[in-house]
Amino acid sequence: MATTLENPPPESPVHLEEWEQELQKVGLVRRILRARRWYGTDWWFVTISTAMVVAFLVIAIAPQFFAKYDPLGQVGPRLLAPGELPAQEILILPEDSQYNSVADFATGERIPIAVQRETPSSEAARDEADRVTEENAAAGSDERVRLQIQRFETPGEVLDTVVAGDAVAGVMSSSVFKGLADQYPTLQSAGAISSAEQDATSFPLGTNQVGQDVLSRLIWGARIAIIIGFSAAIISFVIGVPLGLLAGFAGGKTDRLMTLIMDSIYAFPGLILAIAITAVLGPSIFNIIVAIAVLYIPTYYRIVRGQTLSAKEELYVEAARSIGAKSREILSRYIFPNVIPSVAIIFSVNVADAILTGAGLSFLGLGLPPSTPDWGIDLARGQEFIRSAWWLITFPGLAVMLVVLAFTMMGEGLVEIFNPKLRER
Amino acid sequence: MASIENPVAELPPPSASDLAHGEVLYSIRDLTVDYATRAGTVGAVDRVSLDIRKGEIIGLVGESGCGKSTLGKALMRMITPPGHISGGELLFAGEDLMLASDRRMRQLRGARIGMVFQDPMTSLNPLARIIDHLTETIQTHESTVSDAAARDRAEQLVARLGIRIERIDDYPHQFSGGMRQRIMIALALALRADFVIADEPTTALDVIVEAQFLDLLLELRDEFDLTILLITHNIGAVAEISDRVAVMYAGKLVELGPANAVFGETKHPYSQGLLQSVPNIDVDDVDLYQMAGSPPSLVHPPPGCRFHPRCPAAMDICRTEEPAFLKVAPEQATACWLYSKGRYDE
Repeated sequence: MATTLENPPPESPVHLEEWEQELQKVGLVRRILRARRWYGTDWWFVTISTAMVVAFLVIAIAPQFFAKYDPLGQVGPRLLAPGELPAQEILILPEDSQYNSVADFATGERIPIAVQRETPSSEAARDEADRVTEENAAAGSDERVRLQIQRFETPGEVLDTVVAGDAVAGVMSSSVFKGLADQYPTLQSAGAISSAEQDATSFPLGTNQVGQDVLSRLIWGARIAIIIGFSAAIISFVIGVPLGLLAGFAGGKTDRLMTLIMDSIYAFPGLILAIAITAVLGPSIFNIIVAIAVLYIPTYYRIVRGQTLSAKEELYVEAARSIGAKSREILSRYIFPNVIPSVAIIFSVNVADAILTGAGLSFLGLGLPPSTPDWGIDLARGQEFIRSAWWLITFPGLAVMLVVLAFTMMGEGLVEIFNPKLRER
Repeated sequence: MASIENPVAELPPPSASDLAHGEVLYSIRDLTVDYATRAGTVGAVDRVSLDIRKGEIIGLVGESGCGKSTLGKALMRMITPPGHISGGELLFAGEDLMLASDRRMRQLRGARIGMVFQDPMTSLNPLARIIDHLTETIQTHESTVSDAAARDRAEQLVARLGIRIERIDDYPHQFSGGMRQRIMIALALALRADFVIADEPTTALDVIVEAQFLDLLLELRDEFDLTILLITHNIGAVAEISDRVAVMYAGKLVELGPANAVFGETKHPYSQGLLQSVPNIDVDDVDLYQMAGSPPSLVHPPPGCRFHPRCPAAMDICRTEEPAFLKVAPEQATACWLYSKGRYDE
């Protein structure tokens, strides 16, 4: 008997699997909660994508709580690789030097210091000298650090000068000295002198060519993405759905004319149409949104019209007419609620598409001012450093990809939850 | 006369409502419904005249595609493009519905004419609860009725139709086919419609539920003083509860009369064939009668009598001249040269 229960005859038309029978009995919230049980190994698909979408939304709504730096400010050295320590300026002294640190220079005399031209070294040395002087002043001492800065063309010259004793000490970046330390065995590092509050986690994704933090710009870019994505999807929804309902319900010439227009828009390559619209309207975030919205109106129109066409032939619509319901009531109470679930799923996929198109438009330099923290703009600005600074285009690209993937996956997952019959068995 | 014993044996005795010359509720005159298709104009209903009397259950039978359902929809003026009513008169309770405005038609639908559809599985909005269907129907027509009052009426009605009141908040998919058909009846009765068109209401039901449903129709007819047009191809159902029977073939009315006359003294060869096609449990003869041929194309119907290509008794005149619909017995009429030949000769 047990075998019969486990293997019910597959040809039985009314047979529902156990999970489907359970599904009939519970509401939407429990369906989602029980997704793991019903969807077997697929449950993580929905869960992960939903978590990603939620995380994206939270970050996009309140970027100021997540971004460490001002996305527009120069907050660090230029073109710092992800995880790389900002170059430390170190003090280099001969092994037998009477000094150990910059504080020891506070003798009132001018101390000759060698640095390389056009590096932050001289500034770092001065800053450190000023700091020591202020410290001494605060402690009641009037001893000042006075530096005599000598500039040279190469790091080698700087170190040669120190070895020769023409300068008391040298200042240069730790990474440069590391490469030369073997050739100058009599010199040693006396530690960092830059007032370095930066550590390895300062710029986890590196900095760009003007010293902006890549991560902070990504986080603020999420806000632009969400504004463009949702506004465009909502506008196309609000316009496309009623048009589809009307065309499908009215039929005849209205339907044919509107379908012709919509199909023409649909047939046009999306990005090119968006470029044309933005070019005509002029660059602004609002115009980008309008251009993308126009692009996606036909998507809603086509789906809603198709669903309306089939829904209006349903017997319950005819039954509604047989009890004297008006056309408006039939549309709003009978057809619209039966059409909307399929559209809700398209919405999620559409937000993803709009974000992608928005990034594409700003990549091409249409729409937003070039300094805006936007993923497309970051990609465009990073492309000239594609050989030397891979992180400039990798992370904005990854951000676009992950967000689009998350929204699409969530949409697909929702299809299965709303409409389990679509599942492949 | 090859009549079937079984349905006739179950005919109800003529009741008080089996009115010989009752008041006419719905008078149909020369009703013609055409569908414009690519192949040409399909005359789904061709000059059908029929008087439906107050309080009767009139059965409308015929093969699939003979225009039964189109006739039913035309009576509510619910023919949608590409179809349209291209001629005839529809007089409902003295009112010419062909002249009625759309607004007036909406008032009549539900309020005075109700409809029960073939497929109970899809005739209710899957996203609305049963109670919503009922209260919405009531409030569409009587906007002054409060929600509580509408619910009250709905509950009484549902209880009367034998459905537990607590089920009223359920959704249609939680109902069985028979229960949904009863809800469809309830929708018609919610506003006390006096004329109900039941378009193959029992096709999707099993025989036991079907018998219950037909019994319910009979009870409701007496209780609510209903007039019912029962469209079906189930001859048994018609024989069981109808007062009169109308037989349609290829868009034309071919025979009309009291149920016992049509089943007992069947006149038209098509009606005879239809009755013989019903399997009879009492007869051991296993060879089921099968009518030759199939219904004609309604784009190019055969000239003369539309049944002549399949008719075993076809004569020359049948191929050229269309027979008139003439009385052959006090209450019975048919459109066939077999019975009007004498008149034709006169």
